Amino acid sequence: MTAVRAVAKEIKGYHAFVKFMIFLVVLAAVASLARFVFGLGATTNMDDTYPWGLWISFDVVTAVPLAAGAFTLGAIVHCFNIKKLEPLVRPAIVTGFLGYSLVCVGLVLDLGQPHKGWHVLRYWNLHSPMFEVAMCVMAYTTVLFLEFLSPVAEKFGWHIPLRILRWLEMPLVILAAAISTLHQSSLGTFFLIAVDKLHSLWYNPLLPLLFWVSAICCGMCIIIVEATACHKWMGQPNEGVLLRTLAKILPYTLGFYIFLRVYTLMALSEGPFFDVPVFTLLFFLELGIGFILPFLMFTSNSVRNDDRRRVIAALLVIFGLVLNRFNVSMFGMMDPNHMYYPSIIESLVTIGIIAGHILFFVLIAKYFPIFEHHPETVDYTIPDSFHKIDDGKPKQEKEQKEVLPEGSAASELS
Amino acid sequence: MSKVDTSKQNAFLIDMTKCTGCRGCQVACKQWNQLEAENTEFFSGEGYQNPPAMSEYTFTRIKFRDYEKNGQNEFAFYKEMCMHCDDPACASVCPVGAFEKTPEGPVIYKADRCIGCRFCMIACPFGVPKYEWSKGLPLVKKCTGCHDRVTAGLQPACATACPTAITYGPRDEMIKIAEERVAKHPDKYIRKIYGKEEAGGTSVIYLTSLPFDELGFKKVTLRPLPEYTWQALRFVPAAFLTVGGSLSALSWINHRRDRLKNEQEDAEQVDTPADEKED
Ligand code: SF4
Ligand code: SF4
Ligand code: SF4
Repeated sequence: MTAVRAVAKEIKGYHAFVKFMIFLVVLAAVASLARFVFGLGATTNMDDTYPWGLWISFDVVTAVPLAAGAFTLGAIVHCFNIKKLEPLVRPAIVTGFLGYSLVCVGLVLDLGQPHKGWHVLRYWNLHSPMFEVAMCVMAYTTVLFLEFLSPVAEKFGWHIPLRILRWLEMPLVILAAAISTLHQSSLGTFFLIAVDKLHSLWYNPLLPLLFWVSAICCGMCIIIVEATACHKWMGQPNEGVLLRTLAKILPYTLGFYIFLRVYTLMALSEGPFFDVPVFTLLFFLELGIGFILPFLMFTSNSVRNDDRRRVIAALLVIFGLVLNRFNVSMFGMMDPNHMYYPSIIESLVTIGIIAGHILFFVLIAKYFPIFEHHPETVDYTIPDSFHKIDDGKPKQEKEQKEVLPEGSAASELS
Repeated sequence: MSKVDTSKQNAFLIDMTKCTGCRGCQVACKQWNQLEAENTEFFSGEGYQNPPAMSEYTFTRIKFRDYEKNGQNEFAFYKEMCMHCDDPACASVCPVGAFEKTPEGPVIYKADRCIGCRFCMIACPFGVPKYEWSKGLPLVKKCTGCHDRVTAGLQPACATACPTAITYGPRDEMIKIAEERVAKHPDKYIRKIYGKEEAGGTSVIYLTSLPFDELGFKKVTLRPLPEYTWQALRFVPAAFLTVGGSLSALSWINHRRDRLKNEQEDAEQVDTPADEKED
């Protein structure tokens, strides 16, 4: 009882915004209950013409690239060795972990037979892109969970797991990038089978590659937006200098994407492109506003150095990516005589999933040391039996161990 | 999964010019598969057909199209059903392999495997698999090709019931009959055998007198659909190894450089023991 009361008291102390998020999540939970009680047909606007609706288009096809920040940044920091971006890694991992967990939630709601979801592990079909994505999402959520354990272990002062995790870090980072490459691109492979269904503005054989490259661009932009938001609303230090470095990489990846997009359209796609005015509009919105405009913005030094304009450019890329995923997975396959739009329940669930993401991020940031991570001052190497790195400062290390359990990590030392 | 010789597998030859629109097949299919009746209204769809579309309760359906011939109103028909593709898209995309092209010809669905992701519905070029939208835990429904009857030595229920239009037998023979008919009556038939090459070949082939698209036949690619996704999926192991390998190599090089630098600094520290280095 006291525990319940303590929790209730804790919740009472939250900011109104957090309470509102909790409300949205509860609403979504009720809505998803309705889905199981009344069936998919009654609660959603999906039908035999539109077997995939908002839940697949947003909760899966769009949410996965939106959670691409973790693997992109992990690779940039640890493999390309741009070590100064390290402070951004942890929030990105938390976002990624939350994002993927919620993808799983969305998928389970959308499945007709969620209790049989594990069948994917039992009956393999290597020819199915869905099999691939399912396997990768499971594997990657596990990887992200392990990476996410670091702040948890720090908070509770579990030293041995911490050392193991620290030692696993590099393999995990590489595994994360490899697995992400597979499923980010396989999401594009999904739509290769929709040969005569998807409009030629979006259908082309390189869809998987396009999905992968745009996911990388989007991953970096999400980090820019997230760090800026954390600075603005969660009282975190301004990481502007680091974001500037990130913004310097973006023109290259965005440029590559735009080149690839135009090339595939001109050389690999066939057939009437501009026959449907709405599609033409959507296409130009997506490519022009969502990719080319931010590309031009990021090439300019003044935009990269300006906190506000930088985040605007990043938001444009995110807009472009979201629109692209919707165009491919929904709009581009629509029949003008019989349109699909999400039902109230579908929308409530998706809104709840977004709210849940924000909510859990805020809560995790509140209780776990995800922002105060400065590995230069913390040494987790497995003692002595391996390469001796830290001979010089044994005393300091002991101090840190004492500081750790309080959850403040080693932030003061830096 | 392709490259199996399908010429000896069973196929339907459906000659729409011989169809009278009696819908005996529709009724026989409902009876054999014990499908519930649908509550429909006449003229709720495009024309005379009823129900307005195939559904979880209706695996096959006769589509009506009225047109004028020599000043007379005439009907043309189209029997919609699963095409039992030689290389089925539905089977290739299903994550749990719930669809299977049987050696007898029919493409069957194993409900106990299906997780209900509906990818098969997106993939099928003919829009055949339907979903039990009314249920809390829905499954997919489609024409079974009467696999149970075929393995028992019978013909499919619809083929048995049909008085005129449906012939059932080995695919190569069906194609031969179709070709003979077209050759014999060039005035009566459109010079095309639908299903011979569509989607890489199907086990349901059609002859008509009206252009196929006017009857509601879908214009589909002639390549087997699984090839479209496989041409990307086959790179998966290579992509995994390339990304994993190059990132490993890259980090190894970078980390080694760092370590060497540290060691060098350490060595310098030993040379100048005066103060501790704090970078
Ligand atoms: S017509 Fe559709 S459901 Fe039938 S076998 Fe071909 S792909 Fe599968
Ligand atoms: S809905 Fe069932 S049969 Fe269709 S692809 Fe998904 S798991 Fe396979
Ligand atoms: S083959 Fe069997 S299941 Fe398919 S339409 Fe004919 S009667 Fe129905």
